Order: sequence, then C-alpha cells, then structure tokens
Amino acid sequence: MTSRIASNEAENKELMHSVFGARILVVDDMALMRQMIGMCLSRGGYTDVLFANDGDEALKMVESEAPDILVLDLNMPRVSGYEVCRTLRGDPRHEDLPILVQSASETPEERVEVFAVGATDFVSKPINQPELLARVRMHLENRLLINSLSNFRERMQSELVMARDMQQSLLPEPAMIGEVEQKSRMKVESFYRASFELGGDLWGCWPLPGDRLGLFVLDIAGHGVSAALNTFRVHATMARFTRARVDPARFLTELNAVLAPSFPLGQFATMFYAVVNHKTGHMVYSGAGAPKPMVVSKRGVRLLDSTGVPVGIIKKPDYFNIEDKLEPDESLFCYSDVLIEAPLPDGSMLGEDGFIGWVEEEAQKPDRKRLVSRLLHRFFETQPTSLPDDLTAVAIHPNRKGAS
Amino acid sequence: MDYQIKNDGGSAQVVFSGDITFSENVSFRQLLKDISQQDVSNCEFDLSGVDMVDSAGLGMFLIAREQAETSGWKLTVSGAQGHVASMLKLTKLSDLLDG
Repeated sequence: MTSRIASNEAENKELMHSVFGARILVVDDMALMRQMIGMCLSRGGYTDVLFANDGDEALKMVESEAPDILVLDLNMPRVSGYEVCRTLRGDPRHEDLPILVQSASETPEERVEVFAVGATDFVSKPINQPELLARVRMHLENRLLINSLSNFRERMQSELVMARDMQQSLLPEPAMIGEVEQKSRMKVESFYRASFELGGDLWGCWPLPGDRLGLFVLDIAGHGVSAALNTFRVHATMARFTRARVDPARFLTELNAVLAPSFPLGQFATMFYAVVNHKTGHMVYSGAGAPKPMVVSKRGVRLLDSTGVPVGIIKKPDYFNIEDKLEPDESLFCYSDVLIEAPLPDGSMLGEDGFIGWVEEEAQKPDRKRLVSRLLHRFFETQPTSLPDDLTAVAIHPNRKGAS
Repeated sequence: MDYQIKNDGGSAQVVFSGDITFSENVSFRQLLKDISQQDVSNCEFDLSGVDMVDSAGLGMFLIAREQAETSGWKLTVSGAQGHVASMLKLTKLSDLLDG
C-alpha cells in the first residue's frame, strides 16, 4: 500500500516535471500581448516558451520546434488563427496538438467557428492570468497522460502479439500433422482461434507405435492471459509423458497428478484424449469433461462419452478407458464448447442437440474432409467478429471412398 | 447473472437467474463474500433459473465449495436443468459439489 502511494507520488512528480518542461508556442501579432502571455507563463513555472508573430510563422515553427501546445490569437494579418487551426487539423501528425485560442471579440457564432475549425479550448481577452495557466496546464496534462497511455497500449499490444506467436507454436506443427497424415493415411482437419490475443484452448496429435495415432483437445477454464499461461504449463507437462501416450486414462491421470497441486483454485482443463488404430479402426479414449466428441458418417452422429472430472481439480479423478471402433466411413470430430454455448443472433444458444443437427446435415454433403470448415463457416455467420470464448475444432477423416 | 439471497436463520438459499459465465467473476466473488458475512451453516444454490454455465462458471462453483469447506458451511446445488445439468454431469462436478 505504502509503496503504491509512493509510486503514485513519484508518477505525479514526473508528470508535473514534464508539464512545466513542455514547449509552449505563443502566437500573436501584437508584441505587447506576446510579452504579457510569456510573462504569465514563465511566472507560472513554464521554462520553454517560444513566440511567433503571425500564423505563417506559427505553422513553420510547429514543424521546426515541435511545440506541445499552442496559445493562438485569432485575428492576425496574412494567415489568421482560423487558418492555422484548419491547416494543423488537416495534418494527421498534428491532429492531437492542443490549441488554446485567445480572442477579444467573443460572440456565440465565433465560439462555434473556433471549435469547428479544430481549436481545443478558448480563453477570452483580456487574458485572465490564472485562467490561462489553469487551461494550459489541463491540456498539457491531458496530452501527456494520453501519450503515456497510448505508449503503454502499444507496448502491451506488441507483447501480446509476441505471446500469441509463442502460443501458436504450442499447436502441432504442419510437419507433425503431415507425419500423422502420412502414417495413418487419414486427413487431419483443424481450426483454432483465441477470443482474445491469447487463449486457453489447445489440441495436439502425434503418431504412436503399432499403427496408432493420439489426438487430444483441451480447454482451460476462462480465457485470456491466465488461461494462456496455463496452456504453456500443460503443454510442457504433457511433453514429459511420452510413455503414457498409448494409454488415454493413464495419460490423463499422470497429467492430473502434476497439475492438480499447481493449478489455482477454480482453474482446470476439460480434456479428451483418444488413441486410434488407423488400420483396424480400434479406438481407446478417456474423457475429462470435454464436450462430447462426435463420430460422424452419412448414417448420422454418435456421441462419445467424455464424462470425467476436469484435469487439475482433485487428487484422484479415476479416469477410465472406453473402447470403440471407427468404421471405415467414420470421422472423429472434437470441438470446444463455444460452438454450442455462444449466443446466436436471437440470444438463444445452439446447444449440443442443435449442433448435432448441423453436423448431421453437413455430413450428408460430399467432401467430408471439409466438414470442420463448413461447420465453422456456418457458425461464423451467426457470430459477430469477436467470440465470447476460444474456439478449437479438430477432425480426423478416413481417406476411404465412403467418406469422400 | 442475477441472484437473490434468502437467509432463513442459519440456512441460506441463493436463487440464481441468467447465465453464469466468465464475465460474472466479480459479482460471484461478491456473492461469496456476502454469504460468508452472514452466519450460515448450510447454503443451497438454486440453479433452476439458470440457462447456461460455461467452464469459468463451473470454476466459480469450485471456489464456492472451497470457501464453504474453509468457513465451515455446507454447500448444496439444486435445480440444475438443461445445459447446466449436462455440464455438471459431464464434468462430474454434480458429485463433487454434493459430496
């Protein structure tokens, strides 16, 4: 607490230092006015005050001296104050430069025009010195705060982009997918998109001995930075369990044993892991509460039972294996819950039953290997550009005639 | 998400309505604070008015369970239907929360 106050004080001090060190350009054709405003500003504590005799000189000095604020007279020969405002506002580099206009003739029409040409604020002549100082200070503070905020934003943005690229590298590389496809003669179709720059979803696949492949999907509760950091933790942990990869229940159990003590309360990963023999179609899988994967063919959709305590909650979740068989014309399709939970345009949610209906319809169409892409196309037509949660959809399709 | 706390002298009931999702994090924590400030021995979460719960929402129930254990009250969950019931069943949290 104390250190926070101290750091606020330090920030305030720094801000004040920047305010009084700001460069102010005073523009007036009357020498007396320039002198008076200059005196007022230097008595007020400002150390860097420059002067221009008319609008033309002011525009040149904006380019050469890069002032932080303008105190601008309106009625000047040659280039007027209005013209200075218009010119500066027409240039994207100067659209945020604070312009404080001062003028003697103050009618309502004139005020409207002053703001219409782009002035930031208005002080009337004769100059009221405390008012001038207060307004200069306010606009400089605003400018500095906005600058520091947008610098901060830019930095965060670039950090997030970097983190997103790192997270993207957790997903299977094309070479790995290629290897799985080549060995299994199956087609892996996948889609991943985080709702924020960073996401809490992850999927992966790998070849296994004995004509088998492993496929998992997982979804860490919540999304954003904390969920994303946990995907790194899960990914790193998983890499250690190469021997358990042939046994889904054991794989989940070992993963849980490491993650349960380290996951914060309320965070967990729903998960599904399957081992498929691509020669016989024999499949062994184990679930930890992921949305029920679907086995898809023209004959319809079968749901797999992925019931199980999510990874990371309790010490002994008792995961078990279930055996199944993929027929030569069947695809295995796994997805994350946003597909059934995201609100549709009418405010309702699709739900599991509604989504099964979609999948059954799409499975009737030719070219099953584009099932995921067709489903997502349909889904995105119902959604605004940003999703409420991360989206993952993965299918493995047989390369046999029945499915094409 | 909206909720209403009914306290019947030591036995409280929280009636939820709307969706319980990631964005309710703050109000859910406030709710837990409200419950622990009241002197209750057991508390029932009535979910019959809830249409949807996402994984972050389930996480909040786990936080509630932990808080119940540490502050010595008993949490029960009732009335889940539709999507909420199937989520609790799929993740076996129905057993955990009533266990």
